[in-house]
Amino acid sequence: MSEAYSIHYLPNGIRLLLLATKKFKTISLGLFVHQDLKSETVALNALLPSVLEQGCRKYPDYLTLQRKLENLYGSELSTDILKSGERHIIAFGLESAHDRFLGENGRLLKDTVSVLSAVVGDPLLNDGAFHKGYVNQEKNQLVKDIKALLNDKAAYAMERCLSEMCADEQFGIYKLGRIENYNNIDADMLYRHYRELLSESPIDLYVIGDLDEAEVLNTVTEAFTFPRNKSQVKLSPVDINRSVNGVRTIEEEMTVNQAKMVLGYRTYTGFDDLLHCPLLVYSGVLGGFPHSKLFMKVREEASLAYYIHTRLEKHKGLMVIAAGINAADYEKAREIINCQLEDMIEGRISTAELENTKRGLVNQLLSRQDSPTQLISFHLDGVVGSKIYTFEELIAGIEAVEINEIQEVAGRIMLDTAYLLKPRGSEVINHGN
Amino acid sequence: MEINYRLIENKALQESLYHYRINPGMDLYILPRADYRKKYAIFSTRFGSIDNSFRVEPEEEITTLPDGVAHFLEHKLFEDEQGNVFDRFAALGASANAFTSFTQTTYLFSCTANFEQNLTELLNFVQEPYFTEETVRKEQGIIGQEIKMYEDHPHWRVFFNLLESLYREHPVRNDIAGTVESISKITPDLLYRCYNTFYHPTNMAVFIVGDLDPAIVAAQVEANFSARGYKHMGAIVRRYPEEPKEIMQEKAVQKLVVSEPVFYLGFKDIVVDKLSGRDVMHREILMELVLDTLFGTSEKLYNDLYKADLIDEGFGFEYAAESTYGYTMIGGETKDPDQLYDRIMSEIKNAQKNGISEEQFERHRRKILGSYIRKFDSLEFIANNFLAYKFRDTNLFELPGVLNEVSREEALALIEENLNSERHAVSLVLPSE
Repeated sequence: MSEAYSIHYLPNGIRLLLLATKKFKTISLGLFVHQDLKSETVALNALLPSVLEQGCRKYPDYLTLQRKLENLYGSELSTDILKSGERHIIAFGLESAHDRFLGENGRLLKDTVSVLSAVVGDPLLNDGAFHKGYVNQEKNQLVKDIKALLNDKAAYAMERCLSEMCADEQFGIYKLGRIENYNNIDADMLYRHYRELLSESPIDLYVIGDLDEAEVLNTVTEAFTFPRNKSQVKLSPVDINRSVNGVRTIEEEMTVNQAKMVLGYRTYTGFDDLLHCPLLVYSGVLGGFPHSKLFMKVREEASLAYYIHTRLEKHKGLMVIAAGINAADYEKAREIINCQLEDMIEGRISTAELENTKRGLVNQLLSRQDSPTQLISFHLDGVVGSKIYTFEELIAGIEAVEINEIQEVAGRIMLDTAYLLKPRGSEVINHGN
Repeated sequence: MEINYRLIENKALQESLYHYRINPGMDLYILPRADYRKKYAIFSTRFGSIDNSFRVEPEEEITTLPDGVAHFLEHKLFEDEQGNVFDRFAALGASANAFTSFTQTTYLFSCTANFEQNLTELLNFVQEPYFTEETVRKEQGIIGQEIKMYEDHPHWRVFFNLLESLYREHPVRNDIAGTVESISKITPDLLYRCYNTFYHPTNMAVFIVGDLDPAIVAAQVEANFSARGYKHMGAIVRRYPEEPKEIMQEKAVQKLVVSEPVFYLGFKDIVVDKLSGRDVMHREILMELVLDTLFGTSEKLYNDLYKADLIDEGFGFEYAAESTYGYTMIGGETKDPDQLYDRIMSEIKNAQKNGISEEQFERHRRKILGSYIRKFDSLEFIANNFLAYKFRDTNLFELPGVLNEVSREEALALIEENLNSERHAVSLVLPSE
């Protein structure tokens, strides 16, 4: 089967991406509002989905909305704020079981689309602004969320490394912003921001399920009627060219048992770069799988870590290596990692490493087609990166990667920031290389 | 020759499951799923962290294990004389993994190519143990890091501290991975002893789901097992200590680096260990309905607590029902654990006095049905949960039927019996800095 979306534009300019498939037992809706990531608007953006979810004109409080969803057989509404490259994306999702398993004769599409459009486009207003109580309540919750990043030490270490590394770039902004960004926001200001976004930002609506195309188009056209400007804001391209002037080293102490190491690299390879596929293979050979160099050397041979892996930020062209280790093993782990990076530059990659990585990447890509949320996020990546790859194109691209292309990628990669979160009072032993 | 099977049909889900009995007495389940790219297979043994004292009939000798053996064995099966098992799956483009719970160990792969070879690989590596002094020693370092990672995980710690408080003797109170000290006692002999007991086919099961022909797959599994000449093994007698009704302690407190206190309230179930089969599922569904009706997002308490800033979106609950233990947990992050405790306890008292309405009960029943159907988009969910229920002598496919038959009167009785204030404890993780 093919996973090609059929694309329509609603009269107000919202783009509808429909995938009609009998494969799933669900109907999945996903709505995304695209913007640039900027410190002036980061907190406003983060607040919006939370405030909208608290209540709308039709379902004026959270309890009423949740009861409505329960009566739609436990349909699940989710809201999120995503950071992808230097984009900031407000996300709404609504997933429900398909009617054919419930004997409901096709009402669920109409009902769930109506709930989503009510939440996104028809908010609860007081005196021409958002409900003050909801705004204050959600400001407080988001401030708590920002502080709570600390609770997951691996995520905290990752965020700390990237925010230090990109401190003077848009990408360095945390997706929820800073606590002080919330100080001056009120219901009026947030509502003005909302009107502007709804009117001027690109909006994509994904619909996936066993559905009739004409019916979906009719249903969403009738539901999403809020007026929008003819011209939409032009979003900025991501900056991937920041140069590295010496490695920044950051060590932080905390009362923890395990040290978390995060090494931040610049790859100078963007999403639409000709070397995009070689970069995917590079990261995979180095640390994307249990057969990868880092896992084999640092975990299986040296027993230094339980987890060690690479991760790409494909839009910003960054790669991180993350591991949980004993602080005393830090230098030893760094030495082993450096040897692996050296092997990548020299092209010391076995046929098995190369072929297994390609197969693993292809397997991941094909597997994404079995999940509605993964199908959506795959396409969303293309929208953000201004280059829509089909699954087939990426697979062919990965399969064609040669070692000299991986070396070419390896030659670009520069370590920018080495971050270590370590137990209080622990000594990092220097092996005196 | 085609092997006999029993067809298990489910109308609500529109699924047909093939059940085979493979010599010498292992259950194999195959669920064909058209259109899916991915094929997912799991091979599970009923051997989990709580099975740490046992004998095999007719022997009298009892084996007692240090904590963490089931999990340790899981790690060690991935290495054999030819090397690392992950590499072989990687060469076939599959993604392999494993996990250990209180009651079972599961080995798995998912793939989009080479299914037949991958299945052979899974069946072979799980049936061919290889433990040496050296490989055991190496794994102690890796698992030591895994244990340390969890020691810094506030929700993991608060969960186990609560089980330690609810239970006095039962091994569910011990961490699945054991401790650095307990795993230092593990030897190859001990692993072989456990392997030869719990990895006999009569104690295991296989579940496979994907776009497959059941007859061909069943023949492959049958051939793999029949070539191994398994001998009859006596019944495994698992020994669990006598668990008193009383809890261990009312409160556990630990300090970690967290932004806010983490609060879990738990109730010990003293009835579930006397039930079996469908009755366990019956009780489990009723408890899910009860908890959702008392503490769910569509009910007054959740919304009051959220507005009072006593909870955030992470507030939740679970009920676990196994054949030898059961517990309810409610909680999340809160600025005021004492006040949250009072509010939850008074809601339970209130429900015991005033009951729950027909409307509430039916709405939550509807929600659970829809959520259940939605989960069947995930092949992993189906396979993992099917075998978990199977090891409890129930059938995941019976859930809609059981959901349909439970009554509000039973739910009311359960609030009285199973959320009993005499058997509750509180676990707290408090900010250390």
